[in-house]
Amino acid sequence: MKKVHSVLFAAAAMLLFSPDAHAGDISGKISFKGRAPEIPQIKMNADKQCLAMHPKPVNSEDVVINSNGTLKNVFIYIKSGLNKKYDVPTTPVVLAQQGCQYRPHVFGIQAGQPLEIVNDDPLLHNIHALPKNSPQFNNAQPIKGMKMTKKFDKPEVMVKFKCEVHNWMNCYAGVVDNPFYAVSDDKGDFTIKGIPNGTYTIEVWHEKYGTQDMTVTVGDKGAKADFTYVGK
Amino acid sequence: MFQKRAETPIENRDYSTFYLVFSGLLLLATLWAVVDEVFVRRPWKGYQSEYDRLSVEKLRAQYNDAMSAVDSSTAADLRSRLAEARQKLDSKEYHDAVRRLDGLQMDLADATRAWRFARSNSDALYYQYSVTLHDGHPSADLKKKLDDLDVEIAADAKKMDDINGSIDSANAMIGGFKDTADSLDAALTALYADATKLETKIASVEQSPLEIKQVLLNDYDKSNFGEVKARVDRCQTCHLGATDKNMADAPQPFTTHSHPELLKIHNPEKYGCTPCHRGQGHALTVGEAHGEADPFWETPILRGMDVYASCSACHTSRQALKGAAYFSKARQTFLESGCYGCHDIDGYKNLPKIGPQLNSIPAKLQPEWVYRWIRDPKNYNPHTRMPNFKLSEKEAGAVTAYLFSIGKESTFSLDRPKGFYAGGSASLGKEHVENFGCKACHVIGDDVRVRNARGSSYDIAPELTHAAGKLNPDWIFDWIKNPRHYNPTTKMPSLRLSDQEARDIVAYLMTMRDDRPKEAFNVDINSEENIALGKTVIRQYGCFGCHDIKGMETEGKVSVDLSDFGRKLVEQMDFGDTKVKHTWADWVGNKLRNSRVFQTDRIVQRMPVFALSDTEISMIRSVLLSFRADNPQAKYRVEVTDSQTDLDAGEKLTIRYGCINCHQLEERGGYFAAILDDPTKGPPLLTIEGGKVQEPWLQSFLKSPSPIRPWLKVRMPTFSLTEDEINTVTKYFLALSGQSLEMRDYASFTPDPHLLADGTKLFNTFQCIKCHQLGGAQIDPKSVAPNLELARNRLKPEWVISWLRNPEAIQPGTMMPGYFPDGQSPLPDVLKGDATLQMRAIRDHLFTLGKKKN
Repeated sequence: MKKVHSVLFAAAAMLLFSPDAHAGDISGKISFKGRAPEIPQIKMNADKQCLAMHPKPVNSEDVVINSNGTLKNVFIYIKSGLNKKYDVPTTPVVLAQQGCQYRPHVFGIQAGQPLEIVNDDPLLHNIHALPKNSPQFNNAQPIKGMKMTKKFDKPEVMVKFKCEVHNWMNCYAGVVDNPFYAVSDDKGDFTIKGIPNGTYTIEVWHEKYGTQDMTVTVGDKGAKADFTYVGK
Repeated sequence: MFQKRAETPIENRDYSTFYLVFSGLLLLATLWAVVDEVFVRRPWKGYQSEYDRLSVEKLRAQYNDAMSAVDSSTAADLRSRLAEARQKLDSKEYHDAVRRLDGLQMDLADATRAWRFARSNSDALYYQYSVTLHDGHPSADLKKKLDDLDVEIAADAKKMDDINGSIDSANAMIGGFKDTADSLDAALTALYADATKLETKIASVEQSPLEIKQVLLNDYDKSNFGEVKARVDRCQTCHLGATDKNMADAPQPFTTHSHPELLKIHNPEKYGCTPCHRGQGHALTVGEAHGEADPFWETPILRGMDVYASCSACHTSRQALKGAAYFSKARQTFLESGCYGCHDIDGYKNLPKIGPQLNSIPAKLQPEWVYRWIRDPKNYNPHTRMPNFKLSEKEAGAVTAYLFSIGKESTFSLDRPKGFYAGGSASLGKEHVENFGCKACHVIGDDVRVRNARGSSYDIAPELTHAAGKLNPDWIFDWIKNPRHYNPTTKMPSLRLSDQEARDIVAYLMTMRDDRPKEAFNVDINSEENIALGKTVIRQYGCFGCHDIKGMETEGKVSVDLSDFGRKLVEQMDFGDTKVKHTWADWVGNKLRNSRVFQTDRIVQRMPVFALSDTEISMIRSVLLSFRADNPQAKYRVEVTDSQTDLDAGEKLTIRYGCINCHQLEERGGYFAAILDDPTKGPPLLTIEGGKVQEPWLQSFLKSPSPIRPWLKVRMPTFSLTEDEINTVTKYFLALSGQSLEMRDYASFTPDPHLLADGTKLFNTFQCIKCHQLGGAQIDPKSVAPNLELARNRLKPEWVISWLRNPEAIQPGTMMPGYFPDGQSPLPDVLKGDATLQMRAIRDHLFTLGKKKN
C-alpha cells in the first residue's frame, strides 16, 4: 500500500511540477573516424606524491577514444531554440581532484548553480578557473577533504580549469542557462532528457576537435542526434 | 489710378483702403512675429516637447511593466485584508472598545480626584494631630481618623491602578485594530512602490515647463585679449537625455551619453558640455550651437574621437589618462613619432632624440646603404619611423658624404679584433632571438605578432628582416654585446649575451639577406663640395632633430612651435594651390598625410613625408588639437602634483625604453604576450611593482637584473639607466601604487618570534614549496614561482600580507592561488583561525628564509 502511495505521489508530483506537458529526449552517439591520434602519457614527475599514486602509466585525457570507436568527454547542449528561463538547481555539481586528476574531465553546469570542488588528495592543489564571462577564481586546497563552493554567473561554453601546481591537470565546464546538456560516456552515448517539443540547434564540443552543430526537432517520442568527429 | 487720385482734392480723398491694407499687413506681421518668436526661432522648444513626450512614453511603459510585475493575487489579498481591517475599525466591537476606553478614562479621573482629596484631607488632619502631639496630649481620635484615611488612600491608589490596567488593555485592543490596518496599508504601498515612483516621475515630466537649461561658468575662459570671461552653456536645453538611462536607444539630441562613467566624474550640471565637446555654448539653434554653421566661431564641436583632445585642457600633466585609452595611445603615437625633434612643444622639451647618433657610421654601414636609406627609408624598411625627406640624388649623396666625413674623425673602434664574430650557429641564433626577447622590439621575418599587438604602423626598433644587407657582422657583434659602446645614449639594452650566444645571433642575422633590387650608387663621398653641401642640407632639413650629428650641436629646432597649435585659425593656414577644404582638421590631416601637399612654386616646404596610418593621423591631429596654451583658467585644471609629474616622466621613459612592449603598465603594454603560448607565463605586470618591492632592491635590480622567474626564457635586459632615470622609474612605480619615495629601513623589519612556529607550520601545511623554490644562487629552472629566499630583501612586508590575502585582486590571472577565500582561514586550529594573524605568521616565516646563508 505504501508503495502505491509513493508511486501515486510521484506521478502527481510529475504532473504538478513537469513544466512542459509535451517533452521528449534527445539521444545519440559521438562516433570517431579517421586517424586516431597518439595518446600521450601524463608525466607526473614534477610531484612525487602524484607519481606514487599511479603505479600504472596514466593517459592524457585530451582525447579519449572508447573501445567501440566512439569519443568520450564530448559536451552536448542546446545552443538555441529554448525561449524560457529555467530555475537554477540548488544541488551542487561536484568536481573532485583525485590522483592529481580532475573528475570529471568534462561536465555541464547551469549558470548560478553551485559547483562543489573537493580535494581528495593528501596534497596541495589549486583550482584556477578561467571563465571570460564570469569572474575568474584561483584558490588553493592544501588539505585532503577540503571543499569549496563556487558558481558562474553567466553561460559560457566552455570554461577551462587548470591547476598551477600540476601543469597536466585541466578540465572543462560547459556553463549553460538550462538543464538540457550531457557529456558522452564510455560508449560514446549521451541522452538529454525531458526537452519540450520544438526545434533546436544543438552543439557538440570537444576539447581538441572543436564544435559541430545540428538542427533537431523534438517530438513526444524524442529525437536522435548522432555526430561524427574525424581525426586528421 | 494714382493719377486719377492725384487729381481728386485732398479733402475728398479716401484713405480707408490704405488703412485697411496696411492694418491687415501689420496684423499679419504681428502674427508672423509671434509665430517666429515662439516657434520658428525656438526650435529647442520642439526638442523639449519631443523629449518630454518620449520620456513619458518610456516611463509609462516602465510603469505598466511595474504594475504587471505586481503579483495581482498578493495585491488583491492585501486589499481585501485591508478592507476587512478598516471595516473592523467601523465595527461595534471597535466602537464598544472606544466607548469603554472613554468610560474608563472618566473613571480614572474620578478615582484620581478621590485619591487627591483623601491625601489633602490626610495632610490637614496630620497638621491638627501634630499640634496635639506638640502640646503633649496626642489625640487618639485624630490618630484613628488618620489611619482610616490611609486605608482610604491605599484603596483609591489600587483602584487607579486597576483602571489604568483596564485602559492599557483597551488601548492595546484598539491599537491592534489600527496597527493591522496601518501595516496592511504600508505593505500595499510597498508593493506598488516602483509604480508609484514612476507615476511621480511621469507627473514631474508632464508638469515641467519648457525652459532654457543653462550652466554658467563665470571664470572658465579668457578672451583672446586675455580677459576673464563667462561661459554660458545651454547644450542641455536640447540634449536632455545625457544622464537619463532610459534614453540609450533614443535618437539625438536625446541619447544617453555614451560614457556614463566619464559623466560621473565630470558633472554636466556643474561644467556643462562645451568644456569637453566645444561648440558655441550660448547658441540655441543646431548649426550655431555646434559652431559649424558659424564661420566666425573658433571652436566648433569636436566630433568622433577628437573630443578626447579636450582632456588635456584640464589634465595637463599625464601621458596616460584613465578612461581615455584612445588619447593615451594618441599621445604615445605623438611621442614615438618624434614630432618634438623639429618642433618646440610645451610638455615635450628636453626629451632624448628618437634616432641613433650618426657620428661613427663607417663602423656600421656602407655608403651605398646610407645613400639609399636617405633617398627612401621605407624602401628598405616599410615600418621605420624615419620619414622621407624627398632629397634629390645630389642632396642624398651629399648628406652621405658629410656623415662619412665626420665618421672618419670618430674615435670608435671595435672592442674585439675583426672576425671575432665568426663561428656561430644560425639555428641556435634563431632560438636565442626568439627566447631572449629580441622580438619584443624587433620584427624579424614574417613574425609580426608583437607589431600587430602594438597596433602601430611603425616599429620602435629596426626591423631585422634584411639586417645582413645593412650591417656588417663585426659591428653587430660589438653592438649586441654592449650597445652603449657604439652609442652611449642608445635605448637598446644589453641582454648579457655570452660570446657564443652573440656569435650565434650574428650568424643568424647574417642569413637575413637583402636581395631586393637597389638604386644605383655613384657618389664621390670624399668630394669637399659634396661634404659642404651635405652640411647645408642637414642644417636646412634639421636631421639633428632626431640624430646626434657632429658639427650640429648648437642648432635649434628647425620648425615652428606647436604649443598653441590647437588655436591656430584657418585664416592663418596656407592651403597653397590645393582644393583642400578650408578647415583646421582638413589642413592638418592633409599635411600629415603628405607634408608637401601645400607646397607651391614659390613656397618650399621641408617637412618630411611620413607614412602614418589613417588612425595615427587622426590621433596626432587630436593631440595637436589639444595644444591650447591658456585655456581654461588654472582653477579648472587638475592640480599638477609631484605624483603626477612622476607619473608623466615615468610614462615617457617606459615608452622610450620599450618597457611596455614586454610589461603591462596600467592599461598599456604587455604586447610581448602575443608571441607566448601561455600569456600568464610572460614578463610580470608592473602596475603593482611600486607597492610590491623594496625601493633599494628595485634600484639595484634595474642596474643589474638577476633572474627572479627562472621559468621565463625571456631575459630582463640591462638598460644601463642613469641614476636619474632609475629614480624616475622608482618614483613612477611608487606613484602608480599611490606611494611616494621615502627612506625606509627594510633591514630593521624583525619577524615576530611568537609567530614563527605557527608560520613554519602554515608554510608546510600550505605546501608553498610545491611551486616556490628555496635556494640561493642555484634555482631550479623548472620551478614556476619565485625563489622565496629573495622575499626578505625584495618584497615590502606589508605587501606580502595583501598578496596572501587575495592574489587575484592584486594581479588578475596570476598563478598564485588564494589560500584565504573571503578572508577566512581553512585552518581553525592555528592561531585560533585568525586569518590576518596567519598571514603575518607566514610572512614573518618568509622573512627568516635565507638568512643564515648571509
